[in-house]
Amino acid sequence: MAAIEVQNFSYIYPGESEAALRNIHFEVEAGQLFAILGANGAGKSTLCLALAGLIPHLFHGEMNGNVTVLGMNTLKYGPSELAGKVGLVLQNPANQLSGMRYTVYEEVAFGLENLGVPSIQMPERIKKALSWVGLSELGDRSPYALSGGQQQRLALASVLALEPQVLILDEPTAMLDPKGSQEIFEIIHKLTQMGKTVIIAEHRLEWVACHADRMLVLKEGEAILQGKPAQVMTLPLLKEIGIGWLRYTEAAYLGKKRNLWLEDMPLPVTLEQAVVGFLRV
Amino acid sequence: MSLKAQLKKDFSTLTLALMAVAIVLNIVLGQVVSLLKLPIFLDSIGTVLVALLAGPWAGALTGLLTNLIWGLISDPVAAAFAPVALVIGLVAGLCAKARLFRQWWQAIISGAIITVALSIIAIPVRVYMFGGVTGSGADFLVAYLLATGRDLFSAVLITVITNNLIDKVATALLAWAIVKGLPKRFTARFSRASAVTG
Amino acid sequence: MVSHFGIFLPGCSRLHRLHPLTKLTFTLAAVIIVFGGPGKWFSALVPGLIALAILASAGLARIGLRITLRILVPLALMLLFVHGLFSPVNQNFILQLAIFKVGREGVLYAVLVILRLTAALFSSLVLVLSTHPAHLVQALEEAGLSPRFAYLFGSPLLLIPQLSGRIQSIRAAQQARGLEIQGNLLRRVKALFPLVAPLAFSALVDVEERALALEVRGFSAPHTKTYLNALQDSSWQRLLRWGMLALAVGLLAKRFVWA
Repeated sequence: MAAIEVQNFSYIYPGESEAALRNIHFEVEAGQLFAILGANGAGKSTLCLALAGLIPHLFHGEMNGNVTVLGMNTLKYGPSELAGKVGLVLQNPANQLSGMRYTVYEEVAFGLENLGVPSIQMPERIKKALSWVGLSELGDRSPYALSGGQQQRLALASVLALEPQVLILDEPTAMLDPKGSQEIFEIIHKLTQMGKTVIIAEHRLEWVACHADRMLVLKEGEAILQGKPAQVMTLPLLKEIGIGWLRYTEAAYLGKKRNLWLEDMPLPVTLEQAVVGFLRV
Repeated sequence: MSLKAQLKKDFSTLTLALMAVAIVLNIVLGQVVSLLKLPIFLDSIGTVLVALLAGPWAGALTGLLTNLIWGLISDPVAAAFAPVALVIGLVAGLCAKARLFRQWWQAIISGAIITVALSIIAIPVRVYMFGGVTGSGADFLVAYLLATGRDLFSAVLITVITNNLIDKVATALLAWAIVKGLPKRFTARFSRASAVTG
Repeated sequence: MVSHFGIFLPGCSRLHRLHPLTKLTFTLAAVIIVFGGPGKWFSALVPGLIALAILASAGLARIGLRITLRILVPLALMLLFVHGLFSPVNQNFILQLAIFKVGREGVLYAVLVILRLTAALFSSLVLVLSTHPAHLVQALEEAGLSPRFAYLFGSPLLLIPQLSGRIQSIRAAQQARGLEIQGNLLRRVKALFPLVAPLAFSALVDVEERALALEVRGFSAPHTKTYLNALQDSSWQRLLRWGMLALAVGLLAKRFVWA
């Protein structure tokens, strides 16, 4: 059974007439890195919230279809039940701090306390989570004295301490500088190597192209493309909906016309593929 | 809806997050006001905002906690006026419920009603705990009123009302304007907001 | 500007290590006795002196006095001014200042109020100076306060500097757009909305994301909460708390019921 199954899922926010998402249908196998692409307002965040059970439990609205995560249907199981199994990281690092804890160490403990984890188990889980994100030395610092990138890593650690099998990230690097973004991407890569299932909604296509196993492209609430990065990110449709191509793809496409790229070679989506391709000629 | 169900609805996690932010707004917006050197405090604007969006109980609790927290971290005197702040939130929420916060001129009337209501609590606290005095310039008015032959209670009454009327009317107007200006998607999440946004 | 911790001062005294509820009970009992106890001067002086002694034992007397002076000096001056010169109960006059006469009754009343406020302030400082706000919140939770309401008490403390910082940037941005914050009254009033609204809007927009982040970390989970670090309590402290409350209630009764 797939880790995540979304079947004919549609959703309308309360008080609105247009559906935010229509007939979304896809599956994610355990241990995969699955990317969600789309222009602003296409519905990426809504989909992330639905995968975490926050829709329909916190956002009442109108939901149709099924979202099943780790065998649990979100119509029945909400964020309280999913908390130790599904983690969610949002865009704004500062908003994810509980505001209740004065040190990084205690901040990570917040979720563990809520879920009733015995206190003797806490120190080890906290240390593990902090080491996964590289914040082990900053345990005594105030969460509000961290940089944006560090705060985002703290948000990630706080969620990882609950040891979820599925991790959802909604544009986690949107508010970070390149260094902060790189740190986050490295951690996510580590997590997939540990066998976790990761869903990421992202704008930064380069990283996603290298690392995603499969992806979904949204346009105005509908899933218009699904597949592997090499397939999806070379389709002209991406340019029409405002996401665009990577420069490697663009370069190879233009190169094709001038015989700088072999006719039967697929268009590249990573730097390595581009290099290999151009060298062939 | 039963009281328990209504309370659960009124105090969802979203409302709690709103209240926490509103408490901070109460504490922090005073800075803006002192910057502009205006004769108001704006230290209840978060309370009224919560009352408009989430109802009288949430508003009351916001006010109460603002003063208790301020008392804990900076000025214990504020804790003595926590019941006053509670009444502000409660009455603002009730005014909204009574459809008195839909138009700007109604907001002004609500501000006046809030002033009267808070005075009922503020005056006894002022008189019996603080001898009628605030340590600020308003006390000269009290002195003047006493000199003209009034008793302490009525001197404080007049001072409290004149001190608070402008501030509470300004607070009510600003809160009304802010709620009206919030995106529909946001206010739709709050069950009570429709009494203001229509 | 208020720091995250407010006026709490960390330390290792006996007082610091007492359970937060014990200190809270002391403050409440003392304030009740100060304002509601029998024998006006006695009830005002004794709890205040006890509180001061407690503060001294923890090395907090000096800072306690400094804070008390900061808060009470304006009040004390005004009390003496208003009641000394204008109190309606003034009958015996002890001093003549220019055209004003200082009345004995008014001065005595003012002094009584000042003593009461001082005692109440000392008593609250016993709690506030020696207790980390997060520990007070945890103590309330352990005693049964719902974690949802504990959140309301605990999280604003850390959010204050965050929002405070935003005011500066909003002000700079608006001034760059030509907003005038000085000048006649009308201009300053007009500047009110453009300064207040962006802060309120940006703070409110964050509310939704905050709520989501809380939920995802099990905030509403029905589990019984556990704690990383348990607070130290003892049976004698529990006894003491009940004792203090009983004393306060008893003295209240003595004044109002058996007067």
